[in-house]
Amino acid sequence: MNKPYWGLWALLLAALAFFAVLSIWQDGISVGPLDIKTASFARDMKALFQVDDAKADSLDLEQNDDNWRAPLDTTAKNILFIGDSMLEGLAPRLAKYCDKNGHSLVEVIWYSSSTLCWGESGRLTELINKYHPDYIFVCLGANELYVPDIKRARRPHVKKLLAEIGKIPYVWIGPPNWDKDTGINDLISQETPRGCFYLSAGDTFERSRDGAHPTRASAQQWMDRVIKWMDTGCAHPIRLDNPGEGISRASHIVIYQPPK
Amino acid sequence: MILNTIDISQLLSLLAFNRDEPMLFTSGLFWVLFLIFLPLYALLKSKRKKMMLFVIAFSLYFFYKSSGLFFLLLVATSVFDWWVAQFIESSKNRTERRIALTVSLVFSLGILLFFKYSNFFMINFETLVGGNFQPLDLIMPVGISFYTFRTISYVVDVYKGKIQPVDDYLDHLFFLSFFPCLVAGPIVRSRDFIPQLQDNKPASREMIYGGLFLIMLGLLKKAVFADYIAQYNNIAFGNPAGYTGFELLMAVLGFTMQIYCDFSGYSDMAIGLGSIMGFDLGINFNYPYRSLNVTEFWHRWHISLSTWLRDYVYIPLGGNRKGKFRQHVNLMITMLLGGLWHGAAWTFVVWGAGHGIALCVHKICKPWLDGIASTRFTRFVSWLLTFSFVAILWIFFRADSFHAAGQVIRGIITDFEWAYLPVFLARRSTWCIMLAIIYGLHFVPRHVWDTMRNWFINAPWVVKLLIFIVLIQLVLQFASATVQPFLYSQF
Repeated sequence: MNKPYWGLWALLLAALAFFAVLSIWQDGISVGPLDIKTASFARDMKALFQVDDAKADSLDLEQNDDNWRAPLDTTAKNILFIGDSMLEGLAPRLAKYCDKNGHSLVEVIWYSSSTLCWGESGRLTELINKYHPDYIFVCLGANELYVPDIKRARRPHVKKLLAEIGKIPYVWIGPPNWDKDTGINDLISQETPRGCFYLSAGDTFERSRDGAHPTRASAQQWMDRVIKWMDTGCAHPIRLDNPGEGISRASHIVIYQPPK
Repeated sequence: MILNTIDISQLLSLLAFNRDEPMLFTSGLFWVLFLIFLPLYALLKSKRKKMMLFVIAFSLYFFYKSSGLFFLLLVATSVFDWWVAQFIESSKNRTERRIALTVSLVFSLGILLFFKYSNFFMINFETLVGGNFQPLDLIMPVGISFYTFRTISYVVDVYKGKIQPVDDYLDHLFFLSFFPCLVAGPIVRSRDFIPQLQDNKPASREMIYGGLFLIMLGLLKKAVFADYIAQYNNIAFGNPAGYTGFELLMAVLGFTMQIYCDFSGYSDMAIGLGSIMGFDLGINFNYPYRSLNVTEFWHRWHISLSTWLRDYVYIPLGGNRKGKFRQHVNLMITMLLGGLWHGAAWTFVVWGAGHGIALCVHKICKPWLDGIASTRFTRFVSWLLTFSFVAILWIFFRADSFHAAGQVIRGIITDFEWAYLPVFLARRSTWCIMLAIIYGLHFVPRHVWDTMRNWFINAPWVVKLLIFIVLIQLVLQFASATVQPFLYSQF
């Protein structure tokens, strides 16, 4: 091999080794105010080297497959509904269901928010401590349909959000895609247990002028579809009998301005 | 007992064809494989035959990874056109030669038309006759447009006696499957490439590290600039009705640079890889947005495509040899086909037609324009008009439909307010800074880039490594950086 080729090869190899070592810190490295992102090399390698107990865990899950769904909980719930601007259409309809079924509803709209803002802010923990919900609805993802490399970028934040929810039963309503996403739905689906994620991507919506949000009427139908799905597909079904047409108002509404 | 074992199925699925993840120069897998490829290539470089077999195998795998078994189509095309070229050369009968050329063109273009335009023609036919066709579930082999154009240029050049056909089939397969040019060009001609292959000169230090410099530049353009600014452009073009005129204008300016960074960045990487392997693949983009008129733009934009269209469409149609009127008709046909080549949709045809009309108008006005004194002011006005025209036509190139294109244009004209500027700058500061940097870099004189390139080539190895690492880190930083989609709820 001639010398320049050797030099180039060594350079590429050294760079690969450097980024491979850094990638051990999967969530990135913070140097002062600077957040240094790392490559997915270590995670990719980990995927290639299967650990047997991981297989065993997945086997356990498969064996317990029949128990994924809890029996219908008919008690009155204290529901917290958090998310982005999509809640403007969804929450009034859920409030109507809550009125009919004796649940209370706290609605928290954080405009333009994403899993990143919620994951980083710790705001959900504050809300849980304040309102003590025993059931949570989440609608997030519409503001990150086009985020590149999303699984790597947002997985820690989705995990953090789910960790904040902890053992409280929840339903995550996926974003109403108007175009193919870069993986947000896949990511949420991978991180949530069976019966906790409603994939909205396949639904048809009538859009408002901005082309992204469903119209009020379409958003109400969307909420109806989620609740219908909860009858058979939700891991933690609660009583949500049909209240008939119309909307209502949550007992408490909190609004946060768009993140900077 | 806990045992760590390589999951062979995972490894195979990583290396197997995946239509959603074609192997591109920006993917990590490509660079890991290139790291294995490079020392073997360097060892085999002096043994021409072995080197060729090795590169062909790698290229075909590269094609397989992106297009599955369609790599066999490339092999079939190469066998057929190699044989046709041999036949054309050996035949003294003009009719036979012409038939052979026609068969070759029908074969190559037939495959291209089938994969790329079947659904387009079917949908349009359905619209005309009111049928009920189901679109075909076709996977378009990645890069089919590029290798088809390369093989056509080879056969046509042999037919016209501009080049001798290559005796060794492997030479032709090497040329057609050469992986740096496979996915997105440049559309290298056989007459430029084959002599380099036959000489098989060792790559110099300048070529190897100059190639690395180009790859880094391409990565910066594609993976940092283009991919980052694309996020906002996608959102705005995805929902034009939800954005103000100012925001839409920014999306148009953003897309104008995104498409340049995307195309030319990928070309830079291809040319850089070729250079590392000892091949000069030419220049494909030469600061197109510096152009002072549309004709100059097409001399600077996607040069290998525009010269191909000139040599194999415009000139065979008669070029400028059959009078002014025919020249304009030929220009329009060439640009319409050029538009359709970019994508099977009427919006691309309109984009091509727009450029065709502009080229004709420029040709008509040229005597008058040449009479205007070249001052700073006139040059600036020429640049501004050309740039604005090119940017407006990009709307049709990017928009999903005429309706969406109309919404963008209407929004800019009827809903434009400067009041959005400070809000936009505040909310999307990184995006704005990045756009400003790209526009700024575009106007850096060529000699500055050449100086930087030479400095990089001669820099100590450790400095090169550090620069390379910093660049890759930039790619990683911006790969997961996001722009905020909705500034305000407009519900």
